[in-house]
Amino acid sequence: MSSAHVKTRAPRVGEVAKYTVLSIIALPMVVLPLWVLVVNAFKSETEAATPTVGLPTDFVGLENFATVVNDGNYLVGLKNSLIVTIPTVFAVLLLGSMAAWAFARASSRFLRVAYYVAALSIILPPAIVPMVVLLTKTGLTGSVAGYVFALIGTRLGVIIFLTTGYIRTLPNDYEEAVQIDGANRWQTYWHVILPLVRPVLFTAAIMTVINVWNEFLFALYMTKGTANATLPLTLFHFANAGLYGIRWNLVFAHVILTGLPLLIAYIFLQRQVMSGLTEGGVKG
Amino acid sequence: MTVLDASDVEGAAASAPSTGPIMTPHPPTREPRRRLYLLWFSLPAILLVAFFFAIPFISNAGLAFTQWTGFSSSITFNGLQNFRSLWSLGILGHATYVTIIFAVVTMLAQNLVGLALAKALQQTNRINTFFRSLFFIPVLMSPLAAGYIWAAVLAPEGPVNGFISWFVPGDFTFAWLGQSPSALIAVGLIDAWKWVGLVTLVYIAGLNAIDRALIEAAVIDGAGAWRRFRSIEVPMLAPAFTFNLTLTLVGSFSALDVIFATTKGGPGDATSVLNVAVYAQYGQGLFGTSSALSFMIAILVIVTAVPLIWYLRRKEVVS
Repeated sequence: MSSAHVKTRAPRVGEVAKYTVLSIIALPMVVLPLWVLVVNAFKSETEAATPTVGLPTDFVGLENFATVVNDGNYLVGLKNSLIVTIPTVFAVLLLGSMAAWAFARASSRFLRVAYYVAALSIILPPAIVPMVVLLTKTGLTGSVAGYVFALIGTRLGVIIFLTTGYIRTLPNDYEEAVQIDGANRWQTYWHVILPLVRPVLFTAAIMTVINVWNEFLFALYMTKGTANATLPLTLFHFANAGLYGIRWNLVFAHVILTGLPLLIAYIFLQRQVMSGLTEGGVKG
Repeated sequence: MTVLDASDVEGAAASAPSTGPIMTPHPPTREPRRRLYLLWFSLPAILLVAFFFAIPFISNAGLAFTQWTGFSSSITFNGLQNFRSLWSLGILGHATYVTIIFAVVTMLAQNLVGLALAKALQQTNRINTFFRSLFFIPVLMSPLAAGYIWAAVLAPEGPVNGFISWFVPGDFTFAWLGQSPSALIAVGLIDAWKWVGLVTLVYIAGLNAIDRALIEAAVIDGAGAWRRFRSIEVPMLAPAFTFNLTLTLVGSFSALDVIFATTKGGPGDATSVLNVAVYAQYGQGLFGTSSALSFMIAILVIVTAVPLIWYLRRKEVVS
């Protein structure tokens, strides 16, 4: 990356001071909230009534997690979150990169306008009420299917924008070469374009997974009933279900279980995620 | 930036030597029929974006000016009536004001902290990677989860006040989320906290994309660290600024989750941003006024983000 021989080595004292300051910042900013989350998830309801940094004296973690799974509809939420997130992410990546190839190589006015509309969808806020009406008219309201379509339609813009910009920087020699060799359009897309745009798509996939897994606004308007609730929605209903305010121990147990799938994935893919986001395709 | 390597291209590698282009360029004019595949490839995405973004967005701009409730099947044009009644109820002006404060607090906090962290963690080494990963953990969380955690941390008897109590006489039990000015600032900062790890990574990517030769030339010319930051890095970071400032601003205009998890718009209506007001109107079956408030978010985005993008784009160095 950087040429080491030109760079002047920073004095060690400066380095130590920098990391001391960073640690002092990270402590209240990240460590404290996570600590409060974890220790209080293992406390009894009365002990967690005032959430503190103290360790649980009455260790009832397993009961708390069992309550979340049984009364908090955790498994239903998990199932729905998976059947929402997986198809949405794959559809967005596939349809988005296909469209991006077309937009990057197109000269027609229609496709140019379509590209700008897709790019606009990144910054303009979604019009929730008409979307719900549209889903009602098509008989998709309340179901997971309607919610998935709405998510795909509103998340495609980012993928299209990033991938189109990326493909435009690529020469089209590869595409033409394989087409001369007799590859059809689909083969060209699948064997040439898709491998080329993989770095951008990986970055986009990370962002889309995080965004869709945690999505709450659309879920609140578009899904009906416990049977269709995704994890953020089950968490929200569970947190509001307490008669005497929030039961911190149970809410935190739910928060941990809701975040766990992404956290596990992150632990395994941490290196790729970090380098994907710092070196990948995020460039305006 | 990722450098392209011809060996990455499985299909092409077999037929095209990686030394360079072998094809003579085609003449620019091609018969339109051969390009029809472009339409087929983009059609699914175009339809989905049309159905779930463009058509609802345009309908919303119209429905904002209609009498439309859940109690009657008729939708009739009523001009500015929705905006007038929302204004006289004190909802429109207040929610817009709260949204702007929220968005400004969030955007400033995310970008100032994000840029500072990016400068500190710019070099890729073991310890910096550890800190980057640590600050990235909140990004993985749902904004709801972030809201619940901070509601506990900031509770009157919670850890933050417990810490302050060490330094002030008596029991410090300030309700950060329970009073007017602090609640709005606090929810804005919670939202910023959730995203700052990502903003940091984008700035790091921007900083590392700057040509080292420029920095080294400035060092030779005797420019100090602050001077290099102000005169080289800030201008060269323009694309990262465009990306971060736009997305943090636009994102915070549409915020709802953090507020639903902490204050639910309260105390009173102190944190009732436009999206909270949209939901309240929708919940009462008042779809017309709900659309009007939703349209207000769109107006805010158009009058702030569009000039912002235009301004920042002009600042971007064409390389």
